[in-house]
Amino acid sequence: MPPSQLERRLRRFFNIPLKGENSEFRSGLVSQYPDERKDTIQRVIAAMTVGKDVSALFPDVLKNIATHDLEQKKLVYLYLMNYAKTNPELCILATNTFVQDSEDPNPLVRALAIRTMGCIRVDKMVDYLAIPLKRTLKDDNPYVRKTAAICVAKMFDLNSKMCIEQGFLDTLMDMLNDSNQMVVANAISTLLEISKMSDSNLLKMDSKITKKLLITLNECTEWGRISILTALADYDTNDSTEVDHIIDKVTPQLQHENPAVVLSAIKVIIKQLDKISNERREHLQRRLASPLCSLLSNPPEIQFVALRNIRIILERYPEMLSNDLQVFFVKYNDPLYLKLEKIDILVRLVTTDNAALLLAELREYAMEVDIEVVNRSVNAIGQLAIKIEQVSKKAVEVLYELYMNRSTYVLEQLIIVIQNILRRYPTKYLPTVITVIADLNFDDLSTPESLSSYIWILGQYCKQIPHLEDRLQTMASQFQEMDPLVQSAALTAIVKINLTKSSPKIRQILQQILNEATTKIENADVRDKAYIYWRILSTDDEKLQKKVILKKLPILESTIEKFSAPLLRQLVDEISNLGSVYYKPGAAFVRLRSGDDGAFVDNATLQSKRLEELQQMAKSEIVNNAVKAENLLDFDESAEDRQGAQEEQEEEKIEVSASSDSAANILDELSDLFSGLSTQPAKNVSSSSASPAPHNSGNHEDLLNLF
Amino acid sequence: MGNVFSSIFGKLWGGNKEIRILILGLDGAGKTTILYKMQLGEVVKTKPTIGFNVETLKYKNISINMWDLGGQTSIRPYWRCYYADTAAVIFVVDSTDKDRMDVAKKELHTMLKEDELSDSALLVFANKQDQPGAMTAAEVSKALGLAELKDRSWSIVASSAIKGEGLTEGLDWLIDVIKEEQM
Repeated sequence: MPPSQLERRLRRFFNIPLKGENSEFRSGLVSQYPDERKDTIQRVIAAMTVGKDVSALFPDVLKNIATHDLEQKKLVYLYLMNYAKTNPELCILATNTFVQDSEDPNPLVRALAIRTMGCIRVDKMVDYLAIPLKRTLKDDNPYVRKTAAICVAKMFDLNSKMCIEQGFLDTLMDMLNDSNQMVVANAISTLLEISKMSDSNLLKMDSKITKKLLITLNECTEWGRISILTALADYDTNDSTEVDHIIDKVTPQLQHENPAVVLSAIKVIIKQLDKISNERREHLQRRLASPLCSLLSNPPEIQFVALRNIRIILERYPEMLSNDLQVFFVKYNDPLYLKLEKIDILVRLVTTDNAALLLAELREYAMEVDIEVVNRSVNAIGQLAIKIEQVSKKAVEVLYELYMNRSTYVLEQLIIVIQNILRRYPTKYLPTVITVIADLNFDDLSTPESLSSYIWILGQYCKQIPHLEDRLQTMASQFQEMDPLVQSAALTAIVKINLTKSSPKIRQILQQILNEATTKIENADVRDKAYIYWRILSTDDEKLQKKVILKKLPILESTIEKFSAPLLRQLVDEISNLGSVYYKPGAAFVRLRSGDDGAFVDNATLQSKRLEELQQMAKSEIVNNAVKAENLLDFDESAEDRQGAQEEQEEEKIEVSASSDSAANILDELSDLFSGLSTQPAKNVSSSSASPAPHNSGNHEDLLNLF
Repeated sequence: MGNVFSSIFGKLWGGNKEIRILILGLDGAGKTTILYKMQLGEVVKTKPTIGFNVETLKYKNISINMWDLGGQTSIRPYWRCYYADTAAVIFVVDSTDKDRMDVAKKELHTMLKEDELSDSALLVFANKQDQPGAMTAAEVSKALGLAELKDRSWSIVASSAIKGEGLTEGLDWLIDVIKEEQM
């Protein structure tokens, strides 16, 4: 019930506000005193910033938009940007003020107006945006122009068709020739943004634009530099003079204090590396090394990003940082993620010259408290031993020492590493390995990876292992509880042992394991593997068995992970982008919208939507058909004389179910089609056509059976 | 604290209190032209108002907040957002637009039924008197059914925003009425 007139008058007279903060705000916003209005707006914004929902005040705040007080205008604009989405229709009321402000003598106001207007993501606003945008793009003041340039991207996002029709993209291209570097940089970033949004290359770089950008580069802010460098990275140079020109102009950026600028510059240069002579390339690579290293003097988060990027670069140009091993040594106070990442880089940098140094360093890391660092270090020692043969002996000694001193910490990882080392040097370090294995039991290990490595060693070196049969007996007794990975390893091991060192006991264990694997194990791979072995073993052709089962493994070259070639190519393009941190091309984790709905839409939801639509269509179709079939049956049963009158009307129905068979087929197909998706439609139909069932007979029942 | 006192004293003495006047009417009636003629004293080039204009003008020592709301069909529903605390409504009619007199009448009466406007005075400008074929104030008054209005001080003034005729008289009347009611 609205308050009575008298009450309102009384309230107004005595100035009693309605209850609640919001109504207090409301009366303040429409106060007759300008100061009070401004004060209230400030309080509303304060409430907004702490997360209170003040969207209900929208119309009242909006009333204060037309003011000459710049401060108040800013506050109202801020409110508008925040709540425009909640009151899309009311936003239109601000249009007049926006348009007026975009003609204001004060360039600050003009820029503010066009910026805010672009931020209001309401469809209706777009129609009114074009005119002020066109005007501000040609503004005399560069500050207004650069703000308007960004606004074009916002408009494109809201209504790409209109944006193109109005020629804004051409205007942006013209703006690349602007005298002001900020305008150029913003035009570039807008064009890049729009290109990404529309999946097309709108920024048609040519040598003229490139030259212009290179000149502008040095005068820009850091953000501008990043945009320009991004644009340059995408440019495919035509001749060597252009390449030289780009490299010359971009190289000074490597000294910039902003790591993003440095990384972008590195990316631009790397893109040109393939196009220059070998000698020059080597020289340039050395010059790139120091900016890369200096990235590591930043805060840890930035170091992390730098390290991820460095790893990509190293994979492309492995020799680039080979002289800077020490830069990547772990510091005692590095956060865990940095330590792991640094060790990752270290093993990639190692050469014969510095291997011993690194080994000593890794040995230190392996004595740390943090289990993850210890494991990673042990793994790295293994990688080092495999990569550089000269230090492998020393590495194995270090591993043995670690085993003796810290076996609880390192054991699981150690076994995996030992397996890899054995695959690289099959016999060289066997005595040491056997001493380790001799003391080990199944109970000492818990992870599937380490267990499978352990079992692999048992199988491969069965002749040297003491108490082999006891160990195998334990293995067989635990077979059923093992992880499929371990089961698989156990199968292979026992089959191998049976071929190389057969004994009645081992044959018995083999039989037991094969039996269990083929009857009690759910995992299909393990079962299949067991069947295959069984089949081979029952051929009685020992030569064939040995040929298949004891086939020598290739010597392990490296255990350092590598990106696949196509991925690496994509990742080099992603340097300095988020993709370089995820090691995924950008498209893999962000999907820019292609429709007009403004949000990120992922494929899965889209598909499920379509599926739902299809189901809905199918549902209605089946129901319709069923209804038609019913009509037809009623008509069959009742008087024939109605036939003439209804002939036309029934014609198509007869077509649908001329005989119950054809109807059956159609419906059958339909329900078959969608039964895979959901059983819902079929159920619904059966309930809808179940009621008339008792009244009809014969072919009608056939129809019902369909469902 | 100082703020509170100053605002209390300000209120006591009527200080910088502003009164709100709405200028309403169908699109193209001349509301924006009237607003700026009153404020700046000159005829500005106007475009259809999508939203509103608001200007503060000092008149006879009273500061008036003049709200000129867009008259397009799509914006008319939002007029109601501005009704609260309105001292007076200026309703502008295009006197040459005989075809839409009915629409104007309907909008006017719907608006006046609003609870929040029950205390507001009404001034009707029969605008565009400079144009040939313009209805006289009396004719407009009849067409709008102003005689039916009860419990409200209202007046109709023939005006020409372009020439500036009638505006001052209308405003004078309005201010007198408001002063009477509020002070």
